[in-house]
Amino acid sequence: MRRCLIIEDDTENAQYVATGLRELGWLATVCRDGVDAVGRAVEEAWDVIILDRMLPNDIDGLSILRTLRSLGRRTPVVVLSALAATDERVRGLKAGCDDYLTKPFAFSELAARIEAVLRRSQPGDVVREMHVADMKVDLIARSVERAGRPIALQPREFRLLAYLLLHQGRVVTRTMLLEAVWDYRFDPQTNVIDVHISRLRSKIDKDAPVALIHTVRGVGYTLSPGGPTRELAG
Amino acid sequence: MSGAFARWWSSIAFRQALIFGALVVLTMTVLLVIFYVQTVGVWQRRIDSQIDATTQRLVDYQETRGSAALATHINNLLGDGIDSDTEVYTLVGPDGHIAAGNLTVTGEIASPTRRIFEHRVVRAGRASRSRLRVTRLRDGSILIVGRDMQDPHELEELTRGAILSGAIVTLLMAVVGAVLFRQQLERRIGAIRETAVQIERGDLAQRVPISAQQDEFARLSRDINAMLDRIHALMEGVRHVSNTIAHNIRTPLSRVLARLYTAQNAADPVQALPEAVGFAIAEIQDLNVVFDKLLRIAEVEAGARRQTFAAVSLNAVAVNALELYDAVAEAKGLTLTHTLDAQPLVTGDGDLLANAVANLIDNAIKYTPSGGAIHVDTRCEGSSVTLTVRDNGRGIPAEERTRVGARFYRLDRAVPGWGLGLASVLAIARLHGGTLQLADADPGLIARLVLPAPGA
Repeated sequence: MRRCLIIEDDTENAQYVATGLRELGWLATVCRDGVDAVGRAVEEAWDVIILDRMLPNDIDGLSILRTLRSLGRRTPVVVLSALAATDERVRGLKAGCDDYLTKPFAFSELAARIEAVLRRSQPGDVVREMHVADMKVDLIARSVERAGRPIALQPREFRLLAYLLLHQGRVVTRTMLLEAVWDYRFDPQTNVIDVHISRLRSKIDKDAPVALIHTVRGVGYTLSPGGPTRELAG
Repeated sequence: MSGAFARWWSSIAFRQALIFGALVVLTMTVLLVIFYVQTVGVWQRRIDSQIDATTQRLVDYQETRGSAALATHINNLLGDGIDSDTEVYTLVGPDGHIAAGNLTVTGEIASPTRRIFEHRVVRAGRASRSRLRVTRLRDGSILIVGRDMQDPHELEELTRGAILSGAIVTLLMAVVGAVLFRQQLERRIGAIRETAVQIERGDLAQRVPISAQQDEFARLSRDINAMLDRIHALMEGVRHVSNTIAHNIRTPLSRVLARLYTAQNAADPVQALPEAVGFAIAEIQDLNVVFDKLLRIAEVEAGARRQTFAAVSLNAVAVNALELYDAVAEAKGLTLTHTLDAQPLVTGDGDLLANAVANLIDNAIKYTPSGGAIHVDTRCEGSSVTLTVRDNGRGIPAEERTRVGARFYRLDRAVPGWGLGLASVLAIARLHGGTLQLADADPGLIARLVLPAPGA
């Protein structure tokens, strides 16, 4: 069972995150006090730490993060904060967090980001080729085949597909796609991502017996042969 | 130092005027001292050389003709009516009695000296001061030659008096000048201070009255007024923004509350609630987006992001945005084309510029009906780099263009959006020292993001 430490002083928020994670099969522990949190973060083994920034007694969550990193702990940390300005975000990333999410947030967005962070922290081999159902993707040659039939994709469409593929079976949000594929750190007003996905879908899933790209309502998208999964624990 | 003087001394005008006055007094004193030395001093030296010359002549006279002849000569000199008021001659014989002359000789002056000296004497029976030279002649008799100093002394007194009264008058004038100067300054600065006090009390409409004189104070007052105008405009802007923000946030909040209350009080709450909750979530998510956009605009306007400016290719930004929007444009039946200049480099924040360009293209797509065309081009022109987004949609009426860019201003309420897109483009353009120009494409809109070229 995966273990998550939630360092958050707001009971309501902490409960919301903890309940959500427990439903996904996690063992979630909430710590409301900054001083206590440092000890627990360092002494116990966690798969991921969710860290609030403004903690009681004027403790900045980032100081906990710095302590952790200075002790050589590589535990993935997702910062969850109301401080949304660019320089605050940069400060968080500099302190060594793996992702920075601003409040208010949807749990689905947090869950998707935790999943992405966990995946990144696992040292994987350099993958050259990936297979999903009858689709074969060559990540080096940038070619795609479905049931042996080559599919022509534009470079950006290929990047979109590759990102979905790397997070196979997991939900990725629109914001994550904008950041990873277009390097945009803001949300355009029009739902541009939806249109790109539907275009990609028309190329990949057209005439195929099994659809690979699925919409997860209100959250984002997932690529899997068996439809969307709510399974977050690997 | 008394309290009153301390108060006066603390006035810079008074201090300046007083120091200036003291300088004038000093200059005057130096001038008068030079004048005094040049007049009184020179006259005294001339008298001394005359005494020397006369002594020499009389000594020669005695040596060639003898003492008796000298006595006669002296009597002649005293009796000739020339300089009789001032000349002093006396010959005292070796036996001690006066052979000729007009002095009543006392013992002190009867001994010869090398130098000319001044002494109180009795000349022709009247006491006065004289400069004297006493010489012992070869036969033992004593010759006294001198000059009465009554007139030179009177002149000296007069000069001294004039100098003293002149100095006093100058000093008085310096003090009076200092007081007047201080009052003048106080009056001019007082007007500025009075305005400042009123503004501090909250009356931002107050301005410094500008005097008719085109002096430094008038210029200073004008500068202060210009500054106050700017502050006033900013305050008005802030008030306006707070009002619109309050309006745009309270309205959805009250909508949510109304819907939830209605559901709670419905005949069958269990059935009504899910829909109300869905509505509330959608509205609150929208509010969150509005908040986020407002904070981003505020962040841009604060200017802190200038610190991380770097060279950015406007082409790369444009291509990225075009690749993001080509699918949407295609889906809406719009043609999205572009022409790019060779090297449109700017110094700026890549993320923000991408945001601005994306917003301009986003707007063009929203306001251009199906079948329309959108063209994006970049161009370097001298000291500026321009990115233009041109569409053939409905455009913006000329009279509305100045209002575009204000937060929450929306041309068409039927088109989805929050009215923050162009506001953020404008803020980003300003952060980069550039402008956002809107023009008529007849039909359609031309939106130009004009940025300064690096080093321009």
